[in-house]
Amino acid sequence: MDYRVILIENNRLMLERLSSVIKGAAGFELAARYQQPGDALGQGGVFKPNLILLDIDDRANLQFIPAFTQSFPAAALLCISSHWNANDSSHVVRAGAKGYLIKPFTAEELGEAVDTFGKSGMAVSSDVMAFFSPKGKSGKTTLIANLALSLARKSGESVAIIDADLQFGDMAVFFNLAPQSTIVEAVRDVKFLSPITLNAYFQTVSDNLRVLCGTKKPDYAELVDIKPFNDMVRMAQSLFRYILIDLPAGFNPISVAASELANTTYLVAMVSGGFELQHMQRALDVFRAWPDCEQRVKTIFTRVEPCNADMQEKLGLVLGYPVAAVIPNEYLLVSAAANNGRMAMDNDPNNPLAINIARLADAIIGQRRGKVG
Amino acid sequence: MEGARSGIVITVFSTASAVGKTLISINMAAELAHEGHHVCLADLDLQFGDVSNYLKLSPTRTVADAQKAVQRDADAFDPMPFLTQYSYKGVNFSVLAGPLELAEAYNMSPLTIAHIVKQLQYKFDYLVLDTTSTFSELNLSLLDLGTIITFLGIVDFIPTIKNMKSGCDTIRSMGYDSNKIRLVLNRSNSKTRIDLEDVEQLLGEPFYHVLPNDFVAAQQSIQMGVPLVLSSQSASLAKELRHLVGRYTNQEVEQTETQHGVSSWFRKIFN
Repeated sequence: MDYRVILIENNRLMLERLSSVIKGAAGFELAARYQQPGDALGQGGVFKPNLILLDIDDRANLQFIPAFTQSFPAAALLCISSHWNANDSSHVVRAGAKGYLIKPFTAEELGEAVDTFGKSGMAVSSDVMAFFSPKGKSGKTTLIANLALSLARKSGESVAIIDADLQFGDMAVFFNLAPQSTIVEAVRDVKFLSPITLNAYFQTVSDNLRVLCGTKKPDYAELVDIKPFNDMVRMAQSLFRYILIDLPAGFNPISVAASELANTTYLVAMVSGGFELQHMQRALDVFRAWPDCEQRVKTIFTRVEPCNADMQEKLGLVLGYPVAAVIPNEYLLVSAAANNGRMAMDNDPNNPLAINIARLADAIIGQRRGKVG
Repeated sequence: MEGARSGIVITVFSTASAVGKTLISINMAAELAHEGHHVCLADLDLQFGDVSNYLKLSPTRTVADAQKAVQRDADAFDPMPFLTQYSYKGVNFSVLAGPLELAEAYNMSPLTIAHIVKQLQYKFDYLVLDTTSTFSELNLSLLDLGTIITFLGIVDFIPTIKNMKSGCDTIRSMGYDSNKIRLVLNRSNSKTRIDLEDVEQLLGEPFYHVLPNDFVAAQQSIQMGVPLVLSSQSASLAKELRHLVGRYTNQEVEQTETQHGVSSWFRKIFN
């Protein structure tokens, strides 16, 4: 389907420049262009537009968003601005816009914006989940990879994994990806990016599952600064309904920042006959400083045998904190899958590990729908 | 301390977690003490260290207290009051325990810890350092301070091996003498479909020493709070741990072994 575009841009030079891009973009037709939103609202209807691009560098234009969505219910409204701003993006989407695009844009970026935001619109209430483990080898990466796959399939919504285990992230191996760009480049470039251009840094796993891979070498970890990392996650919230962040073990600047940013932090530990419960308690003591700890912090144990409700309750009693999920020991299934760049869920969907992870995905989706609905 | 003789530092490091660093560290310390050396084991997995758990110690003073003493007066600092003694059937060694509180752990200074380690070097024949699995500022300084780096790995599945390779390359890039880095494989006969020779080929050198998998004996030793080399001397893992320590104390130099072929799927992943 061709897009019939109405462009509203106050700056005359920018209006010419963007008009030229739209005219040259395959699948787009510039139906009309205006410098004032009032003119577009009054006259644009005759052109039957299905895409409206509204400049919001002029802050007064923000108030016209509801009028555009009301007057042109069959058209998608994208706001255009010379700078990315997380608060503005959230505001315009809540007001009725489908998305947010940085100008000047290229024909490719325009096409990608329409593809990305056209169907479901920009995400404004995405769930960010940080996965923290006191010590490594917790089964966290296996859990995240399979959970993301399950969330994507069950919800049909867009899901992303951010591999922030900066020195030794394994997501690329788990999904058999050879990334051209990683978290290092995404964080480095974020101040020049918009959601559309950030999207290209994520590697595609399926239609609605993408992965931002970890560093290629351990020493690149020091290139990831916290503030731009936070900015990058906030920007990614405009693209994905669910964001799962894999973190390095223990308390360190990146795990603390991601946990503070996340809606939910999952504390993950593997039961292997050592002192995992004590480590979990020690970590929980830190998170308990949050006044809303019980709402935001959930615990998961992996390699639990027997993996049933009784054991889940027992672990919770010993821990002194509810256990949100228990995942069984399926070492051979998991290692065979990881060795082949496949997911345990795909290798054997009826396996207890796959079933328990699917159950957790259902709970997350149900919780979100309860919240949103 | 000028002119004083400094002890040997064995830094036990890995780039994957749960490969047995703490178990190997306490057993090295115990075996060195068993051989009659004056030994200290330092738990420098500051946040979630398990040395005291594995040895059933209840330290009253820790590395965090030692840091406060250094910060008060670095020149007058004496590390000995901050150590906890471990004894079993006449075998004794000292332990520098990790912080009791997480907040203390988060606020430890790598520079101060390096100072504490250097002071301990003048008090002991051998100093065994248990670390975490990351190239943190602290661990980089502990790798520098190590006379020998025991780089511990396991061969379980591809992601672990990727990280072992990546860690090996990083350590090699630091310019250490090759004899300083000892690749030690733990749990060699655990369930895996990956050939050891392929891993050695990938790493570019053979393992210096290979330790067998003996999960049951290791678990029993942890539950008893007694190092395997002292409690279950006939266990195959205990024997190999003693053998490893023997090679360290004798300063043996190994010849590199013949190269092995790499299977095609393995090459595909790592090329």
